[in-house]
Amino acid sequence: MAHMAHYREAHPLPFVITHWVNLVAMIFLILTGFYIHYPLFGGVMSLARGLHIFFGIVLLLNCVVRMVLAFFIKSAPAPGTRELVMDYKTWLPQRDNKHQLWAWISYYLFLRRDHPIAAKLGVPQKIVYLLIPLLIFFTGYTGFCLWGVTANWGFFAVGMDFLGGPMKVRILHYFMMWAFLVFMCIHVYLSLIEGVSPASLIFFWKETPGLVYDPETMNIVGFDGMGEEPDYGETFKEKQA
Amino acid sequence: MAVQLQTAHASLAERLEARGFTRRDFLKYCGSLAVMLGLSQAAAPQVAEALEIGEKSGKLLPVIWMEGGSCSGCTESLAQTNTPDIAELVLETISLNYTETLSAAAGHTMEQARKDTIEAGGYVLVYEGAVPTAYDGNVLMVGGEKGIDSLAETAEKANAVIALGSCACDGGWMAARPNDAASMGVQKFLSDKGIDTPVVNIPCCPANPEWLVAVIVQYALMGTLPELNSKNEPVEMFNQTVHDNCPRRGHFENGEFVYQFGSAEEAKGYCLYPLGCRGPQTFTNCPITRWNRSLSWCVEAGAPCIGCGNINPMHPQRNWVDESTPFLQRHRDISLGDFHFQPPAAALAFTVLVVGVLAVHAVGMKVAGRVDGGADFEPERRWDVKHGTPAAHEAGACAAKLYDGLDAEGLEPKNIKRFRRIREAKKAGLDPKAALGFKVEHASEEPAAANDDAMKGGEE
Repeated sequence: MAHMAHYREAHPLPFVITHWVNLVAMIFLILTGFYIHYPLFGGVMSLARGLHIFFGIVLLLNCVVRMVLAFFIKSAPAPGTRELVMDYKTWLPQRDNKHQLWAWISYYLFLRRDHPIAAKLGVPQKIVYLLIPLLIFFTGYTGFCLWGVTANWGFFAVGMDFLGGPMKVRILHYFMMWAFLVFMCIHVYLSLIEGVSPASLIFFWKETPGLVYDPETMNIVGFDGMGEEPDYGETFKEKQA
Repeated sequence: MAVQLQTAHASLAERLEARGFTRRDFLKYCGSLAVMLGLSQAAAPQVAEALEIGEKSGKLLPVIWMEGGSCSGCTESLAQTNTPDIAELVLETISLNYTETLSAAAGHTMEQARKDTIEAGGYVLVYEGAVPTAYDGNVLMVGGEKGIDSLAETAEKANAVIALGSCACDGGWMAARPNDAASMGVQKFLSDKGIDTPVVNIPCCPANPEWLVAVIVQYALMGTLPELNSKNEPVEMFNQTVHDNCPRRGHFENGEFVYQFGSAEEAKGYCLYPLGCRGPQTFTNCPITRWNRSLSWCVEAGAPCIGCGNINPMHPQRNWVDESTPFLQRHRDISLGDFHFQPPAAALAFTVLVVGVLAVHAVGMKVAGRVDGGADFEPERRWDVKHGTPAAHEAGACAAKLYDGLDAEGLEPKNIKRFRRIREAKKAGLDPKAALGFKVEHASEEPAAANDDAMKGGEE
């Protein structure tokens, strides 16, 4: 049983789409990137490079679109609520995140038994997610430094010199890919280990029953069975009566 | 000029052929160079005569060719040139007043020739090899003088300095790890010394003589240096990669690769990329000018590019050797102290470590009974319990009541009995931990039973 109710308001449809685009682009980038690094089998170098560059640009544009949309689309600041705030606010430190960094770390280190109450993004999660756009832009930048077509552009040539030449940039670009891979391992692990509700919401926009959260008091106030089970708690006082 | 070139070329072809590649023939050629300079092969007086030619004749560009930490390979490479031939170069455009390898003369007479040329001024310095600076420059002595001193002295008064070969550009082999001689390129050395004579870097190991000749001829005939890029290389020669102009590029695009020397793919002349070819990151026009009288070059001869033109003039620690070794791997080695390893190995090891940690963590999550829905939520944030407002405590109390209500309804099946036991123990004034006795048996048994209840009513 999912703990918090997972509502669509947490991930509005455009963000479900950008998440899909991220996933597809990254998978293609990693596979073609490995091939370009060392072509284990022959035959598709042109294709691999073409796809790599195409999806690299897709990933960058998608990242920009996602960031811009954060200022135009509203989403829920926490799981278990249908209330909305402008999405960018859920990326910045929230009232709900206060004093929760150690709570999360100690929870994952098994130093405490109860689950911390938190915003849509927990504190370590939020810090890591905020680094992802930087990682995408930096990796994209090193990619353009290496791509023959753009390598001579002043903006990229400067970076090539600064970062220490083509070999260093190549290795950096390669390490960035592994950074994504490591992030994906941790990301997939943490989002699945306590149940599939978060995944079924972000991928298939499927809601699941669970506890209801009140962003006002920042506490859990009820249980939403979504028709499958009886509802319970302050939110559903009328039903209870 | 064109006619002269043609005749000179024709007359030299036989001599070049006769020269071959043996040392003996090469020395013969050095003698013939002296002869071409109007000297006999032997002695200092003739070299002095050569200097007189340089001093008296205004149209000849005096050139001093010094060697630092060098293998003389660039000189050797120049001796193979054909456009214009070395003789043409020497006789028509420059007066080679001082060269350690090619001059028949030696010793103090030669050093005097250098000093006289410096005094006369208006010369170009060609410097071959790295500048070793360790032990205050005492690692390289020429004619009883420190190499770095004679370089500084000669470069300061020169109209231009041509750093010939990758060692002269960024220290090259000499600066490669561990670089005990503290070698560096000419540009950095002069920059550190505050000498602002313009430096033209002509990289590669050895430098292609045609590039040198092009620069010298431009300077001799027009008095200008070529346009330079950020590494002080002539832009026209070093703005495209080897990969851009490689004759095997088609095989690269088709994905036809050589994975092993001696394989059928190698015989077919496929792309050498998997064998560590540095062509994609080496900015030289080797495939265009080619080498040894435009006969062939590394990749054409079947060897992957090792990136010898990939210089970093102002950063000897980024010399092309350290940036490219091991040559047959896709990446250079990276170093942590004395420990050198390939980036893929390091990245893979780290990732495996992370995955391993996650696997162990997953076991912990399973044991703690969090896998199917996580642990129970805290009714009130811990910080609030200690520091919160009465309103927060009230909200927390409400949540605790809610959990009890959920228990009663059987709506929150996960671990709830365990959680309730903690609360009951607290109410009874017992140590909650002791009351709970957080045991694997408890954690895994009870949720399983509770889950069965939940499955009747709800879906996961």
